[in-house]
Amino acid sequence: MNQNSFSPKARWDRFEPDKCGFNPDSLNERIEVLANFKHAKIFPKSFTWHDKEYIIETVTYNWQERIGQALISYFSVFCTGQMYQISFNNSTFRWQIDKLIQ
Amino acid sequence: MRSRVSSGTMVSLNMILHIDMDAFFASIEEAINPRLKGKPLIVGSRGNRMHTVVCAANYAAKALGIHSGMPTKRAYSIYSKLEFVTADQAKYIWTSEQILGFLKGFNLPLNYASIDEFQLDLSGCLGIKPVSLGKEIKAQIYADFNITASVGIARNWLLAKLASKLNKPDGLTLIDDSNFEQVLRKASLDKLCGMGGKNGKVLMAKGLETCWDLYLNLPGFFNNNSGKFEENTGKPTEKPKSVSHSYTLPRDQVNHQVIQAWIRLLSEMIAVRLRQQNLVSATVYIWLNGPVIGNFGAQKTHQVSTNDGYEIYQRALKIMARSSLRNPRIRAIGVTCGSLSHGIYYPLLKEEARRERLIQALDRINNRFGEGVIYPANTTLTRQ
Repeated sequence: MNQNSFSPKARWDRFEPDKCGFNPDSLNERIEVLANFKHAKIFPKSFTWHDKEYIIETVTYNWQERIGQALISYFSVFCTGQMYQISFNNSTFRWQIDKLIQ
Repeated sequence: MRSRVSSGTMVSLNMILHIDMDAFFASIEEAINPRLKGKPLIVGSRGNRMHTVVCAANYAAKALGIHSGMPTKRAYSIYSKLEFVTADQAKYIWTSEQILGFLKGFNLPLNYASIDEFQLDLSGCLGIKPVSLGKEIKAQIYADFNITASVGIARNWLLAKLASKLNKPDGLTLIDDSNFEQVLRKASLDKLCGMGGKNGKVLMAKGLETCWDLYLNLPGFFNNNSGKFEENTGKPTEKPKSVSHSYTLPRDQVNHQVIQAWIRLLSEMIAVRLRQQNLVSATVYIWLNGPVIGNFGAQKTHQVSTNDGYEIYQRALKIMARSSLRNPRIRAIGVTCGSLSHGIYYPLLKEEARRERLIQALDRINNRFGEGVIYPANTTLTRQ
């Protein structure tokens, strides 16, 4: 077998696209989120951003990333005609809106 | 050696089930943002859509002739209304690892071939219906991630991989005695693993067009070349031969400070991986690519092995200084550490002991807060 060397690795340059300033949609602002925590899974229901409440209609995808000791859970959510990416840091218990998904 | 297999019969010997995700990165982006579904979409390696390469293209973009590895400028010249998303490794790696975890549940020998390819060895497993198993895997992946996979089943991994490519996307193909000739006659040679490059061109120049032509000329190729199935579940079991990192710059670079900053960053990334595996390296190899110099590569082996990023960086710079390169235009940089051995470096001198403590402190910070949170000052140039 000649295909036995794959192992995904964290990379120091993985933040490069955002750091280059090419992502005008990047927000990274703290938000308040109403979510259910069930069977070690998180189900965000709504979030409040700039004093406005957004009811989450669909969570289209979710994924996780370990950054140091923190586990970040990401959610792409659809509410009122717009897609957002929100995330939860299990180390700081901080919810934030990462960006608008165009 | 093998028996006929169909969806209703039981498998006998030597069967590999190859799972190949369909346009993996692009499919995940479509699942995240349903607005993109069906529209020509490319995933770019970097955020600047005109100065990067196509990392992945969905099937609508592939139909226009756009493929991975193509400069985005060229892709946009083919179709100016392409949808563009910047690659985000975290979500692709997470999805890949989730699929790996699901496949581990079958308790069969498993090979994690690449981020979007997995192989299950069904050899000797009585009671498994390979086509039913393939269907089950495809259905579960779709249910969990809303993305599709193509499955190929055959007597060895080479044929199984070929089978997975034949009915993409969302295909399931079985190659057995009953359809071996028919399938190989239809499969063009470049679909076969290893035949996309020079090998394929040489054979095609000799008049071999399909896999069947290859089989007629080299009857043993599909058996002798099949290799042995080696289990790999993503965890390194033995010492690697080398550890390397490379990076392609957004554009040609002559600023030696920027070039040195990237060499330092790549050296630090390698050093972290060496220390994680308790390895030290004696040989440093540096590779540079540019429009004038073409490919330049040189290496030096030292008596004292190291896993210190700064030391690897210094050794790489010395190799460059000894070369005839003078302020070359550089597009891509690679650093490799070889001659690896297990061992912990015990510093003798006071200054070396201080440096060792510093490295340990940096590792603790990066382990706690994330890789690259604290980094050498001169690598700041890589973040601009």
